[in-house]
Amino acid sequence: MLAMRGIVKSYGAVRANRGIDLDVPAGAIVGLLGENGSGKTTLMNVLYGLVRPDAGSATFRGRPLPLGSPRAALAAGIGMIHQHFMLVPAMSVTENVMLGWRAAGSWLRAAAIAERIVQASRAYGLELDPGAVVGMLPLGLQQRVEILKAVLRGADLLILDEPTSSLSPPEVTALLAVLRRLRDEGRSVIFISHKLGEVLEVCDEVVVLRDGEVAGRRAVAGASREDLARLMVGRDLPPPVERASRAPGAEILVVADLHACDAAGVERLRGVSFSVRAGEIFAIAGVDGNGQAELAEVVGGVAPPTRGSVFVDGAEIVGGVATRLAAGVAHVPADRASVGLVRDMTIADNVVLRDVDRPPFCRRGWLDRDAAREAARRGIEAFDIRAEGVDVPVRTLSGGNQQKVILARELGRGPRVLLAVQPTRGLDPGATRFVIDRVRALRDGGAAILYVSTELEEILGVADRLAVMHAGRLVGVMRPADADLTRLGLMMAGALEEPPDAAALYGVLA
Amino acid sequence: MTAAALARSFAVGGAARPLASAVLGIAVALGTAALLVLLSGRNPVVAYLALLGGAVGTPDRVAVALNKATPYLLTGAGVALCFRARIVNIGAEGQIALGGLAATWLALRLPQAPAVVLPVLCALAGAGAGAVWGGLAALVRLKRRVHEVLVTLLLNFVGVLIVGEVLHGELGEPGAGFPQSPLLPAAGWLPRLVRGTDLHVGILVAVAAVVACHLVLWRTPFGFRLRVLGASEGAARYAGIGAARATLSVMMLAGALAGVAGAIEVLGVHYRLIEGFSQGFGFAAVSIALIGGLSPLGVLPAGLFFGFLESGALAMQRAVGVPTPLVSVIQGLTMIFVLAAMALSAARARV
Repeated sequence: MLAMRGIVKSYGAVRANRGIDLDVPAGAIVGLLGENGSGKTTLMNVLYGLVRPDAGSATFRGRPLPLGSPRAALAAGIGMIHQHFMLVPAMSVTENVMLGWRAAGSWLRAAAIAERIVQASRAYGLELDPGAVVGMLPLGLQQRVEILKAVLRGADLLILDEPTSSLSPPEVTALLAVLRRLRDEGRSVIFISHKLGEVLEVCDEVVVLRDGEVAGRRAVAGASREDLARLMVGRDLPPPVERASRAPGAEILVVADLHACDAAGVERLRGVSFSVRAGEIFAIAGVDGNGQAELAEVVGGVAPPTRGSVFVDGAEIVGGVATRLAAGVAHVPADRASVGLVRDMTIADNVVLRDVDRPPFCRRGWLDRDAAREAARRGIEAFDIRAEGVDVPVRTLSGGNQQKVILARELGRGPRVLLAVQPTRGLDPGATRFVIDRVRALRDGGAAILYVSTELEEILGVADRLAVMHAGRLVGVMRPADADLTRLGLMMAGALEEPPDAAALYGVLA
Repeated sequence: MTAAALARSFAVGGAARPLASAVLGIAVALGTAALLVLLSGRNPVVAYLALLGGAVGTPDRVAVALNKATPYLLTGAGVALCFRARIVNIGAEGQIALGGLAATWLALRLPQAPAVVLPVLCALAGAGAGAVWGGLAALVRLKRRVHEVLVTLLLNFVGVLIVGEVLHGELGEPGAGFPQSPLLPAAGWLPRLVRGTDLHVGILVAVAAVVACHLVLWRTPFGFRLRVLGASEGAARYAGIGAARATLSVMMLAGALAGVAGAIEVLGVHYRLIEGFSQGFGFAAVSIALIGGLSPLGVLPAGLFFGFLESGALAMQRAVGVPTPLVSVIQGLTMIFVLAAMALSAARARV
């Protein structure tokens, strides 16, 4: 269906695509795998017309496809679902589908469109209510609105850029089912992902990119995880460093009966108590939206609790972010693009983002910008951040390098406590390993770490003790060795509750 | 494009890009205005030469231009700081009015005060009044959640009307037939900078304020907080930056600068409070802050440009018969084209 030939695209000195060939047969799901910066996004932006290539051509359904024009791509029948949705939150599903759609006619025929939405929704198992306001829908459903938009506009080839990065496990399963239905209808899908499991599960064929070139193609039937991972990173990933369990240290972080509401006044934390000990990673698993984000915000001082207390080293911490920083609490927030970093500010500015009021970055009321640059330089060195100097805006960095900037700032302080929320979200395996290694090193240095993730594999790999969070409460606490996937899955789905006893909550598991 | 969106595009410090856009925008604006002059049947080259002569032809004209630029620089710098924090403050007009009022009131109260002390005290009084007015807008914004555009805009009318009310009553000059205060004691007048011209020390205060605002924005934790707040609310919260405190502070700071501008107009130009003495300076300050790329140092050329333009306007009218409002047209066109050029270059930089 699609054949791209010899695509070359450079940004300045960076050669993002160095002559890539890509074939997508009709009725196939093709996985596009690669680390951050391997050229996946550039290639897809070329295909969708957002970026004009320096060289190369493409044919789509036998006809040449002019590259560099989104309109041509759309007209030819190519639809792209971006990582960040292009929807109007205040409008209904029907209105979003009609928006900018010429074929919907000059008059707004909402009822007719709604009818088509209902039909298509039934055909593909999207379960969308045309009248629902998009901003009120969970992310998984918003994504389906995007898919529906593309399909109704007649897209025969759908490009999904990291479609699962913000979805919970059941939402991922549902998405994959939708994609299979689209394929069975004869449409093609390009599935961009880091997650080997999903790629192997849903794709028919995998193309692996590395450093702007095709590193390999595999039919999924014969491919193994190890093989694909090797192609991606160009080396064997070392197995994670395991360590012998040791006696729990002193209680560092203690959270007692924490309650909190979100901005809309809905209670998101409903009585959470636990402690994290020195040299321990306490990991919290759970489907996104069950209070993990609120927990980290309250412990991190970003949002106030409605009830309950937080203690560090035995002293209660009352107040906002400043008191947490003073107590040695570091915080890697879930949303690195708009919370953890200021995208338009420089690396140096971002490295001191939470510390500008204190020496060495502030002396006698003035910012010491040389000190900030020096700290940024040390961070770039220590965390292997790929950047052209400390004065470039962080938005120019890849996701992995952005996360490293956050780590450089938060770990650079030498924290007693680290709150890490989805610290590896959207990162490639190399960067993921790097982040986890740093977190482990901090643990081994005696810090207490609260680690929140929706990836079970990651939780099981990193945790010394883990809990499952559901509907604002901890519904089970266990050691990774005692965890089995069925039990965890049931807990995450809210179908099983094993109220933890004090010993489990406070870190003395038998 | 809204001011807030603009604030976003300028969150990066680079100065070269806005500068090039400004020069391009001014050139296109002058070109467009030349067409208007041509349409009215006059020679644009002659008109512009007259404008130039009127602006810089003699030391006297330069003095007038610098005096005219003074309130623009002071208020523009304050407005730029607010916009950086994504607070759309268009309340400078009322703050100028009340600053002038406070300075007048104090000067009439202390006729015996020595010559150096009185202007300083009056300027401080102006700063205080402006800060109160700016802070009041911030409080309504923070406590009642009314958008600051509305609050600052409406408080302008209140401020200007208070001045009118006072001039018709307590502070009015008996028998003047015009709403103005009595002449201020000479000790309160701003000293002249150059003998034989009207140039007063206000321009030095203004330039110093611009430089101070630049240092505050780029070299202090407070300025850093403003920039973070303007760039990302989420990041500001995460960084522990109190939006309320920063908003109140920067609004009071901008109000104080506008108040000083009002005091300087009274003490340096009119020597009395006159109804309507601020001829839209506060609104022009918004244009100047935007043309200056929301950077205090950028406000310097933008404010001076407006000052010289106005100084030249009268000469142009006398020499060629092109009416002075053409200068307002040029100012408006300059703002449109400079902002368009900046938006274009920002869009290009993003792709």
